[in-house]
Amino acid sequence: MKEITRRKFLKLSAKLAAMMGLSASAVPKIAEALDEIASGTLPVLWLQGLSCSGCSVSLMNSEDPGPLRILTRYLSLLFHSTLSTATGHTGMEIINRSIDLGGYCLVVEGSVPLGMPEACRMGEELFTDQLVRAAMKADAVIAVGSCAASGGIPGAENNPTGAVSVPAFLQEKGIQKPLIRIPGCPAHPDWLVGVIAHVVKMGIPPLDAEHRPKMFFSRLIHDICPRFADYERERFAKTFSEEGCFFKLGCLGPLTHADCSLRLWNGGTNFCINAGSPCIGCAAEDFPQAVSFPMYTKNPSGKVKKG
Amino acid sequence: MIKFTVNIDPITRIEGHLAVRIEVEDGRVAKAFSSGEMFRGFEILLKGRDPLDAQQITQRICGVCPISHGMASVLAQDRAYGIAPTENGQLGRNLIQAANFLQSHIIHFYQLSALDFIDVAAVIAYEGRDPGLRQLKSWVKAQLASDAIYPAAPFLPRYEGDYLKDTDTNITILKHYLDALNMRAIAHRMAAVLAGKLPHAPGLVPGGITETITAEKIASMEAMLSKLREFIDHCFLPDVLETAAAFPQYLREGRGCSNFLVYGAYPESGSMSNLFPPGVVIGGELSPLNVKLITEDTSHSFYSSPSGLGPGSGQTVPGHVPGHESKDAYSWVKAPRYEGNVMEVGPLARIMVAALRQEDSALKNLTQQTLARFNMGLENMESVMGRHIARALECKVVADRSAAWIEKLIPGETAFRDFEIPENGMGMGLTEAPRGALGHWISIRKGKIENYQCVVPTTWNCSPRDDRGVPGPVEQALVGTPVADDHNPIEAVRVVRSFDPCLACAVH
Repeated sequence: MKEITRRKFLKLSAKLAAMMGLSASAVPKIAEALDEIASGTLPVLWLQGLSCSGCSVSLMNSEDPGPLRILTRYLSLLFHSTLSTATGHTGMEIINRSIDLGGYCLVVEGSVPLGMPEACRMGEELFTDQLVRAAMKADAVIAVGSCAASGGIPGAENNPTGAVSVPAFLQEKGIQKPLIRIPGCPAHPDWLVGVIAHVVKMGIPPLDAEHRPKMFFSRLIHDICPRFADYERERFAKTFSEEGCFFKLGCLGPLTHADCSLRLWNGGTNFCINAGSPCIGCAAEDFPQAVSFPMYTKNPSGKVKKG
Repeated sequence: MIKFTVNIDPITRIEGHLAVRIEVEDGRVAKAFSSGEMFRGFEILLKGRDPLDAQQITQRICGVCPISHGMASVLAQDRAYGIAPTENGQLGRNLIQAANFLQSHIIHFYQLSALDFIDVAAVIAYEGRDPGLRQLKSWVKAQLASDAIYPAAPFLPRYEGDYLKDTDTNITILKHYLDALNMRAIAHRMAAVLAGKLPHAPGLVPGGITETITAEKIASMEAMLSKLREFIDHCFLPDVLETAAAFPQYLREGRGCSNFLVYGAYPESGSMSNLFPPGVVIGGELSPLNVKLITEDTSHSFYSSPSGLGPGSGQTVPGHVPGHESKDAYSWVKAPRYEGNVMEVGPLARIMVAALRQEDSALKNLTQQTLARFNMGLENMESVMGRHIARALECKVVADRSAAWIEKLIPGETAFRDFEIPENGMGMGLTEAPRGALGHWISIRKGKIENYQCVVPTTWNCSPRDDRGVPGPVEQALVGTPVADDHNPIEAVRVVRSFDPCLACAVH
């Protein structure tokens, strides 16, 4: 594993602290934490809120490194509800002891029912309370998937739970931590694995103003779309499955920052637009948009025009 | 009399947030309460949206079986729009659904359930040359020698219990645990060939699928499927049968309600039949499915919406109204009933319906052959191990049949039929998710979703008590289960996991 010098760490931490708006006095503490992280594997406490487990399943689709290598070489996965052998009170003991000791990276999958805390409980505790406890003692927080990163479907207009993203929740509770947002519904396994590998080997990767790793979210799907030439030549598909640019079918590629069109999904097998479907903007900030903003503009009753 | 109560919360290695409280008297479970602990309100936030959003949004109910929801939604919309897929479209849908079925069943046995039976610590004794096992062994050894607070997490700690003693079997199944990680990813890749990506596929739409069929894609799917079939034939099915033989008590424990409901799935053109035939079994008697007999009770659930409504006119209103017996509520899961009966859904239900139907089916034949080979009766299937066996058997049936579906695909012919969305319409989509009977109901008014209801497999299996106080299938299956140690109720979680609960689905 690549050695990282103390000096390099302090520099990185100072940058990180500035980015987070933390005072300089926080720097040594962060450096210590990152030092520990780089010395071995990344201790991760993984909690699920209003989630579908899709980001966990997606992570398991990672090919190189595969799940076993991720679990043994990159992570110390203290607890993960879908994978942990520990169950019931054994599981809660791990969560509680880990929180007591602190010094882990908290990964959150799913949004937070701020308006209806009783909508999510675990271990006889409201998830909102658990998240506050876990975040307070975390060295850093990774909000994985659109639900955690920006509210996602549970946070869509008219939702009954008042669901919000993890960053919005932490802000509401006045908790400041180094934060990485990885949107996507689900998040691409490479995005999470890439962030973890970067944190383990070099510290937190460069992030944009929205706390997204620049290496994955700096370009619009539209700009790197294999059908971009069709757009330029005004060859537009009129319905699903057709050749041509999906712009007139409401494709959200022009509004969505992600690298799906280059990276592809499921080990390079395919991705939405190649499969004859417009991008629905699942990694976009306001996915799944307002009630009045349809995912496709195929329906004549859906009057709102996109783009 | 020794009495104790354990609240197993959270139940891990399932999908989502489930807590199960058991009251044990004289060493056996006397009462059980299954609580769904997470609510998002999909049915509420779908109202007023464009109908075409539905198959995308409802897939996000569940990251393990998104395809099932996408399928139920496009079937409901097909009906509302008055369209049917082309031959290629139907085959493509079957293959996408089948591939996700395979990944779900494989992950359920190896990653979610097997560690209740096999001893992961046995890997320390491994002396062979398999690279994956050697990697696992050296990691476990290093972890146990380290000062980590939880060495070998997330595999340890665990409930103490009667894990499998035989080293060879432990090692074999552990090896297949590692292989299964790869196999389930291959199954997802196979689905992505026609569906675009997994989880949450863009390519499932009303009128068929959006992907085009090419010879290259056929060859690619065929290659992936053949790897999966080898794994199912030579690893999955034998491992499940071997585990069942090592734990014969679980061919009796965890019986359940003995009523079964199947909507049917995988329609095949040229015949009127489905690969999974529909049917209802109540008190051992098979009858045809009548969806009008489905209602949902809410008296023990955290809703104030009226109890006993049919899903077509169902409501989802969280919270309680004054006068509502809210003190009785203990779950976000509703309690669906069929003509008032508690029903189990899933692989066991599909096997039971197929076995009781007169006509031959792949599922019926394979079940009969397997039971005869192991000197078991159909009654052994109504058990913890019976559910695992049923899952492995139907996994083989689906995989084998997929090879024929791939053969039938015609390159160059369309798999999508265009449609128009009417101003007003209604539709019902019934299918089978890996976990059982799944139904979506859509009603469209002025071009928008007016109402949307989902009755989902785990809603049936993990339902709380109904208005008459009758417990749900998991609750019933737990009653009578011996539990020796209140600190290690491993017997109870084995029963619960045999149902493959998915709580994100159950509540949605």
